[in-house]
Amino acid sequence: MKQLVVENLGKIYFDPRLGERVTALEAVSLRITPGEFVAVVGPSGCGKTTLLNLIAGFLEPTSGRILLDGRPVEGPGPDRGVVFQSYALFPWKTVLENVAFGPRMRGLPRAECEARAKRYLELVGLGHVAQRYPRELSGGMQQRVGVVRALANEPEILLMDEPFAAVDAQTRMTLQEELARIFEERRPTIFFITHDVNEAVFLADRVLVLSKGRLREELPVPIPRPRRWAPLVEDDAFKGLVGRVLQAVRAA
Amino acid sequence: MTAFEHLSGLWLRAVERWPVLATLGPFLPLLLLWWAVAAAELFPPAFFPGPLEVARRAVELASKGILGAYLEDSLLRLVVGALAGIAVGLPLGLLLGLSDRAHRALWPLVLFFQAIGDIAWLPILIVWFGFGLGTMTFVIVYTVMFPVLMNTALGVRSIPEVLPRAAASLGASRLRILLEVVLPGALPNIITGLRNGLGFGWRALVAAEIIVGTSGIGFMMFDARRAGSVTEVVVGLVVLGVVWSIVDSWILAPLEKATGERWGLVAR
Repeated sequence: MKQLVVENLGKIYFDPRLGERVTALEAVSLRITPGEFVAVVGPSGCGKTTLLNLIAGFLEPTSGRILLDGRPVEGPGPDRGVVFQSYALFPWKTVLENVAFGPRMRGLPRAECEARAKRYLELVGLGHVAQRYPRELSGGMQQRVGVVRALANEPEILLMDEPFAAVDAQTRMTLQEELARIFEERRPTIFFITHDVNEAVFLADRVLVLSKGRLREELPVPIPRPRRWAPLVEDDAFKGLVGRVLQAVRAA
Repeated sequence: MTAFEHLSGLWLRAVERWPVLATLGPFLPLLLLWWAVAAAELFPPAFFPGPLEVARRAVELASKGILGAYLEDSLLRLVVGALAGIAVGLPLGLLLGLSDRAHRALWPLVLFFQAIGDIAWLPILIVWFGFGLGTMTFVIVYTVMFPVLMNTALGVRSIPEVLPRAAASLGASRLRILLEVVLPGALPNIITGLRNGLGFGWRALVAAEIIVGTSGIGFMMFDARRAGSVTEVVVGLVVLGVVWSIVDSWILAPLEKATGERWGLVAR
């Protein structure tokens, strides 16, 4: 079982501006099983991005540990694909080169990397922009590339850090549905950070509420898949769950 | 339609056909003014030669092979010095850009030494290396190095943190991150540093040639002054400007355009 286990994780850092130590995370434990979609919601400053950065290996924990498939996480690695809020595409590489980057770094032959990148771009309908540079695309298209760049590397788990926060509301809903569709078809394991309660409930199997560095609540989302916005916006079960998560976020 | 409108229409069409006219155009009034002042003989012709005389002298020097040989000397020194300056400045700039510790330790030194103008070194360099190639090379390497170093460090430090992170989580090793993220990310700044460095280097070279040279455009100008030929000095001035314009607009500017602007890293 290639599951992600986070045990008693804590992160304290020194803030030079405040001149004091700040606790970003405290005693966070969670477990994500393969094929599961877990979302963490919480207000800004609650420590959710710190949690993702620790799992990604960009930061080192002060206490506790992170295990993937039983092995402790040490630094960033291709087993954990990351999708960033700011897309983080390489501006000097074409869309195709961006998506082929991961496979290429793992030593696959060039032709195979390109073929795989093309296949994944087709998955989100972006085959026609393969030769363009990222800045020539809209924000929504750039983030589609960001998502398939991580997917094309076929990681054990996909870490998504508020990936749709920077695009407009219409595009956001389209991207959410697209991600839901990809998840339904391929069942990757996804760890998703957001401050948008609707988004968390729409996408996830399980929603965790994080506040002031601690996990406060855990709510399963028993809404059947496939999930699409049109039926769900008026769905009572969906609205009830959103209300409960919202309450938990505000109470915490 | 007035005559002026007619003329400016002709000019615009001509520029469209031969873009080089856009560069040469602004010089026409200047040349006319120069010619008029010289022709009016406000100053003695020996002190203030006109454009025709300068052109004639330039052709003469060129046909004797002096101009070509001196220009070759100067450009070769520039190229050698610039390559050495890049070889020192680029790795140091990368180090200062990548390592906070190196930045803290070395940045004040960099600021201190780059503030000492290249020419200010000449008195002590002459004592150390004498009137020769050593001194001249030092001056160019010194001048080219700092803009390259400082712009490289700046370029590396201005790469968003998420880009190396993205590369690492896609499986890139540290070396691959350096080659595929840090270098291309800093490249527009590196080229800007190169452009500045070479520009400063060209000026410093001429100054060095004037003081310690035995050949080169700077030497030619200083030698002409000794011989009392103001015309030849002006030939030197014109050559300096023309050569730099060509290097900058045919090599450096297109290079800058091809990298930064295409990637959207630099605003046009």
